Amino acid sequence: MHCNDHHHENKNYSRRDFLTKTSLGLGALSLGTLISPVNAYGQSDFLNLLESNKMKLPHFVPKAKRIIYLFQSGAPSQLDLFDYKPKLNEMFGKEVPKSIIGGQRLTGMSSGQSSFPMAGSLFQFNQHGQSGAWMSELMPYTSKIVDELCFIKSMYTDAINHDPAMTMIQTGSELPGRPSIGSWLSYGLGTDNKNLPEFVVLVTKGKNGQPLYSRLWGNGFLPSQHQGVQFRSGKDAVLYLENPPGVSSDIREEQLKSLEKLQSIQHADIGDPEILTKISNYEMAYRMQTSVPEVMDVSDEPEYIFDLYGEDSKNPGTFAANCLLARKLAEKDVKFIQLYHRGWDQHGNLPKDIKKQAKETDQGTAALIQDLKQRGLLEDTLVIWGGEFGRTNYSQGMLKPDNYGRDHHPRCFTIFMAGAGVKKGITIGATDEFGYNIAERPVHIHDFQATLMHLLGIDHEKLTFKFQGRRYRLTDVHGNVVNEVLA
Amino acid sequence: MLTELVDFLGSLHPLIVHLPIGIVLLTLAIDVFIRNKNNSVHRVITMGWFFTFFSGLLASFFGWLLGDNGYYFESQISIHRWSGIAFVSLSFIVWILRYINFRFSKPFNRSINLITMLLLMITGHFGGEMTHGQNYLLENLPYVEKEISVVKLSESERSKADSLMVYEDLIHPVLEEKCMACHNQNQAYGGLNMTAFESMIKGGNSGAGIQKGNPYKSLIYKRVSFPQDHLKFMPPAGVPLSYDQVATLEWWIDNGAKKQMPVTLARKDPKIQRLLELQYGLDLREKTYLETLILASPTLDQLKSIEEKKYIWRFLNPEQSFLDLKFTKNQIKTKDLLNIQQIKKNVIWLNLVDCMLNDGHLSFLSDFPNLTRLKIQKNPSVTSKGIKALKNLENLSELNLYGTSVNNTALMTLGQIQSLKKLFLWNTRITPKAIADFRAQHPEIEVVSGL
Repeated sequence: MHCNDHHHENKNYSRRDFLTKTSLGLGALSLGTLISPVNAYGQSDFLNLLESNKMKLPHFVPKAKRIIYLFQSGAPSQLDLFDYKPKLNEMFGKEVPKSIIGGQRLTGMSSGQSSFPMAGSLFQFNQHGQSGAWMSELMPYTSKIVDELCFIKSMYTDAINHDPAMTMIQTGSELPGRPSIGSWLSYGLGTDNKNLPEFVVLVTKGKNGQPLYSRLWGNGFLPSQHQGVQFRSGKDAVLYLENPPGVSSDIREEQLKSLEKLQSIQHADIGDPEILTKISNYEMAYRMQTSVPEVMDVSDEPEYIFDLYGEDSKNPGTFAANCLLARKLAEKDVKFIQLYHRGWDQHGNLPKDIKKQAKETDQGTAALIQDLKQRGLLEDTLVIWGGEFGRTNYSQGMLKPDNYGRDHHPRCFTIFMAGAGVKKGITIGATDEFGYNIAERPVHIHDFQATLMHLLGIDHEKLTFKFQGRRYRLTDVHGNVVNEVLA
Repeated sequence: MLTELVDFLGSLHPLIVHLPIGIVLLTLAIDVFIRNKNNSVHRVITMGWFFTFFSGLLASFFGWLLGDNGYYFESQISIHRWSGIAFVSLSFIVWILRYINFRFSKPFNRSINLITMLLLMITGHFGGEMTHGQNYLLENLPYVEKEISVVKLSESERSKADSLMVYEDLIHPVLEEKCMACHNQNQAYGGLNMTAFESMIKGGNSGAGIQKGNPYKSLIYKRVSFPQDHLKFMPPAGVPLSYDQVATLEWWIDNGAKKQMPVTLARKDPKIQRLLELQYGLDLREKTYLETLILASPTLDQLKSIEEKKYIWRFLNPEQSFLDLKFTKNQIKTKDLLNIQQIKKNVIWLNLVDCMLNDGHLSFLSDFPNLTRLKIQKNPSVTSKGIKALKNLENLSELNLYGTSVNNTALMTLGQIQSLKKLFLWNTRITPKAIADFRAQHPEIEVVSGL
């Protein structure tokens, strides 16, 4: 444990001390006020020392207090949305030059093709705003707010397939088992909200495509109170949160108190910290019985707000409705709000499908950013929009004048950010004129993650967790902050 | 005529100076390495000392002329000058003693040899510094940190980048080092005296030294930026101005060559900013208030006194002195605001959103000296009257008033908060016209008032 390095006088906390202290701390904390990370952070001397001395967080004054990550699962085609490549239209149907592919190993889905015809986007691109950012006609609402956005057109990743790529961007590793970004932030920064989890996940309902696993918002080896909690649309936002029929709130509270006593005894006995986590989870669940329905209730929202987010926003579970909820969660100081919108994996029939996808996400995204802005929340909230990788400049399958598909492309893709601590109306990085390789300022997933942490006041090299004999971090041994995006 | 002859002879110094060096080294070598010396050897050694003395005398004479021509400061040359003369004197004494057959004891002879070598090295080193520049000896050693510039700023000067002046702190020291040996009040070559700002601008016989705003017509800039083999290149001897120094001079003249031009003006010119940052180790970024603020941490007792059921607090910096404080309940009371008075110095961000805050409560916020972000949105009881209490928050840069009942008169108060950078006024009673006027009056404040 790191405590030893910084401790008062000669006090060393041994394992025994740890157990004694934590169990005492628990006793002091448990009754009356329900245990929460806040109480622990603010009041318990031991945990306070643990928290504050271990890593001295934040490492510098943060720019952002929370993140809303609008994750576009399946990998949207940057070439049809943001990354304007007239060359591809000029050379529509011609073979991708071999030198451009550079011997890259393609996916099994298109590597067998006898021809790799370049597919220029069928959609119109125009420059928008003062910044002159290029946007395709697919995103008319977002096009209007480009001056709030910071595009990174030179993102790249290591993985070429969805699951490893999503795991990579969410946890910093292609292999499952590491904590996701939100869990790291929850672990590092604690909560600003006593009644809601620090890490909330909203998934657009009724979408098909690549599967989402709850481990994408899992806590990995971090204490399990840091895992993301999925809020579902509709009646039961969090499953099994409500008291079973016939159980009143009082009974529930009493039950929890008794359970907590039992668990305290157990903890005093064997000292497994996961017991504490369990207790705090139960109690968080209890508080969420009132806080979740409150935050999920949008009936107070005036009509013009629904107009802003679009008609979808009245239909719970849509992307737009989730954007509205994201704003409400941000208002409640939830630290990491993760949206998932599936269905971007357009190997074929892209022009038709992407239109639908863009329509589902465009207005909600733009509305969210504007709504945050007018409420002053964009000052300390960072909004991110992007997928797990990009799509190829050549057509997967037959290229027709009005139809094509695009395969996975890890070598370059575009994301955009808006809000706290990020420059407005700029574009970082560029791809070559074929939109295949990065020509300028490559930004790896780990660089992106390092930058997110930086904005929240964390030095990504210092937030570590020791597990199985070594210290882990979100960026593992990689990552450099992308200084160019910092305002 | 005479001056030119003197200059010519002076310039022979670097040539002649190598004769005594070679001769004395050979003499010492013979003395040390020939064990059993017969008379002939002794005579050779005596002769060696004579030639050392004689060539040394010539060299020091030319050196004196060179040193007097004004290209060098006395402070630069005095060690070289006097150790050289000591060397010549010593060689004269040794020669005389040997000439009259004075018996040198072994230790005495060794000491003489040692002193001679020392003087030779000292003289040579300081002579070298003049021709090759200071630090010439060590700067190319591996593992030695290279000096980027000869002009250095002290640690304390660098930390106060905001108060540095271009002329006084960057230009003048360079001119002093490179030019003022010849261009000073006592000895103004070409009629140019650069020690005083005014006389430097005025220039000398050839015309104005500096034409404000036009470096390419400023003689001083022209002379130092000529190719080095140009007849009129300055300085004529020693190490010329570095690229950075010339560029700084150019930028300064370009911007009007004012005596009181702050170094921070470089923020407008990223290239110069970068150059100055690299050359002088300055940090010219615009610093936020928080970056300059040093605060003592609140005591544990103070932190414990914050009512934990009502507030959430968090440190914002690793020094644990900046607090981000948030009220979590639906209804705030006077005693809740009294509760946080004792940590008010440490509160940097304060969040009192949607908690039925009213004008009366605001008076308790009038004295939070380090508050930079205040969020009191969604409190409909807050009006323009209450806002008046905020006008003394001298470091407030962000204020969120959306969803309050402030009206146009609040803008009067808000305009008085000098530090204000961002203002959120959506859903208030302030009229669009008033906001437009306010924006025009205060272009430095970003006002967000809805879509």
